[in-house]
Amino acid sequence: MSTYSDASGIIAPLPKARRKTGFGAVVPAFAFVGIFFIVPVAILLLRSVLEPVPGLGNYAQLIGSSTYLKIFANTFIVSGLVTVISLLIGFPVAWALAIMPGRLTSVIFAILLLSMWTNLLARTYAWMVLLQRTGLINKMLIGMGLIDKPLALVNNLTGVTIGMTYIMLPFIILPLYGVIKKIDPSILQAAALCGANRWQCLTRVLLPLATPGMAAGALMVFVMSLGYFVTPSLLGGTANMMLAELIAQFVQSLVNWGMGGAAALVLLVVTLSLYAVQLRFFGNQNPGGR
Amino acid sequence: MKTTFAFAAVVAVVAVSAPAKAENMVFSSWGGTTQDAQKAAWASPFTEKTGITVVQDGPTDYGKLKAMVEAGQVAWDVVDVEGDYAAQAGKSGQLEKLDFSVIDKSKLDPRFVTDYSVGSFYYSFVIGCNADAVKACPKTWADLFDTTKFPGKRTFYKWSAPGVIEAALLADGVPADKLYPLDLDRAFKKLDTIKSDIIWWSGGAQSQQLLASAEAPFGSVWNGRMTALAATGIKVETSWEQNITAADALVVPKGSPNVEAAMKFIALATSAEPQAALAKATGYAPINIDSAKLMDPETAKTLPDQQTASQVNADMNYWAQNRDAIGEKWYAWQAK
Repeated sequence: MSTYSDASGIIAPLPKARRKTGFGAVVPAFAFVGIFFIVPVAILLLRSVLEPVPGLGNYAQLIGSSTYLKIFANTFIVSGLVTVISLLIGFPVAWALAIMPGRLTSVIFAILLLSMWTNLLARTYAWMVLLQRTGLINKMLIGMGLIDKPLALVNNLTGVTIGMTYIMLPFIILPLYGVIKKIDPSILQAAALCGANRWQCLTRVLLPLATPGMAAGALMVFVMSLGYFVTPSLLGGTANMMLAELIAQFVQSLVNWGMGGAAALVLLVVTLSLYAVQLRFFGNQNPGGR
Repeated sequence: MKTTFAFAAVVAVVAVSAPAKAENMVFSSWGGTTQDAQKAAWASPFTEKTGITVVQDGPTDYGKLKAMVEAGQVAWDVVDVEGDYAAQAGKSGQLEKLDFSVIDKSKLDPRFVTDYSVGSFYYSFVIGCNADAVKACPKTWADLFDTTKFPGKRTFYKWSAPGVIEAALLADGVPADKLYPLDLDRAFKKLDTIKSDIIWWSGGAQSQQLLASAEAPFGSVWNGRMTALAATGIKVETSWEQNITAADALVVPKGSPNVEAAMKFIALATSAEPQAALAKATGYAPINIDSAKLMDPETAKTLPDQQTASQVNADMNYWAQNRDAIGEKWYAWQAK
């Protein structure tokens, strides 16, 4: 029974034991996904083709109506905008975090995380108060003499974009930080020594190395934005309604689960396809560039 | 093995006896100040009288209600819903028939009584205005749709429910007694003229916020919210001209585990005194015809049931029948 004196006694049974515990560990995960994901999705799919009458009527209605198509388009436009702006703001922040002295980094991280942990509804209402025509931002701009009529910053596309970008920023900064932090600074030094100017250092060295992080962060933000409900519902107008709100209307207000299910499934399929695309192009690259 | 059987037996006994005891029941409503008032005016006296605890839940969600009934796992015993929804859900078999041997309907306003529901309270859509923020307040629905005379943003109820379509038609000159069946095309055409000036409110608190901050200095709101706003000291004006009434309703979802307690609760909630207490707290009108006597005249004067001069009653039966069709058109128009 000695554990290390008899080498053959240890090494031989080990793979078998590992296989066994490995399989055992996967069972709960499969059960979880099965019960909480696959079964509900299957029910949703069933309802979407059975209610109110069996057939593909719900899908035909979704695709056939210009209003619903506009809502799909809105969803992608808003999500795209939010993703691009988050990247533009998030990249410099992540870069700054990566090269900052440790103490300052932890302060900024604390600010980032605290904002993430604050109640979403409270943050969204706060934006509402800030952005409205009689709100702080408009009052300040008028007070400074920059504008003489209040800007329409809320209940429209601007409001949704500002509110959602703010909420999504941590989700892009954190993965980007992880990637940039792992980039060896001496590579940039080497580039500079070889004659690259700052712009070339950024576009030809830093950005390509950070691509997996950008892709992962952008995908996360885009996919989360596609299904976002609270912020667009509160900061947007009805003219830029997004898919999640349409689904809520079908389910809560119209009590039409067939249409709600169909819309939800379209959203799910789009999301999974995007994930597949990301895996195809970036899946073999380990974020961190190792 | 023996212990397993014993355990199973205990579980079975508990499972069988639990529903019969009915020491508590669940009431779901819309939250906020209204539900607080319902708790104080209805649930507290009910618990005192019967010993049955009333657990508060919410907000009411028709999708959730349907899911509960279909799954046979009903967690709500009494639910506060909108009148048109009550009529529709009753017809589609999602509600228990009310027991009128327990609930005394002889004193209830018959407009709000069906086999499956009784009124909860009734409210009016009125024209509310922040008088400090504007030179003049709109008085009629036509004023509210007149962007030349009354420039600026106005706020309307976002969801498909009685109120806004009626207001648009009245503004367009349709006589109150010719509103139904609703001419939707005409209503949307009228709404198109102010669409870019509308900020939608989706909950009562939001309507208050929009008026108070003058983000939208006037609009169509629930009268009780104006009462609450006035109480905060903001200078508000309420126009009752052609105020449009609608009612909430109390219903019991089919398969409620505490039907008996639910009936008793509704009986108490709709009796004269609790109805008067709720009206006093919320500014919404009682549906019990004896309640008015129990309130001081100053309070009673501000309730929708006293504003009958040009009152318009939204037709809940029409809405119940056409709820889905109107809803689809309504949201499609909004998103356009």
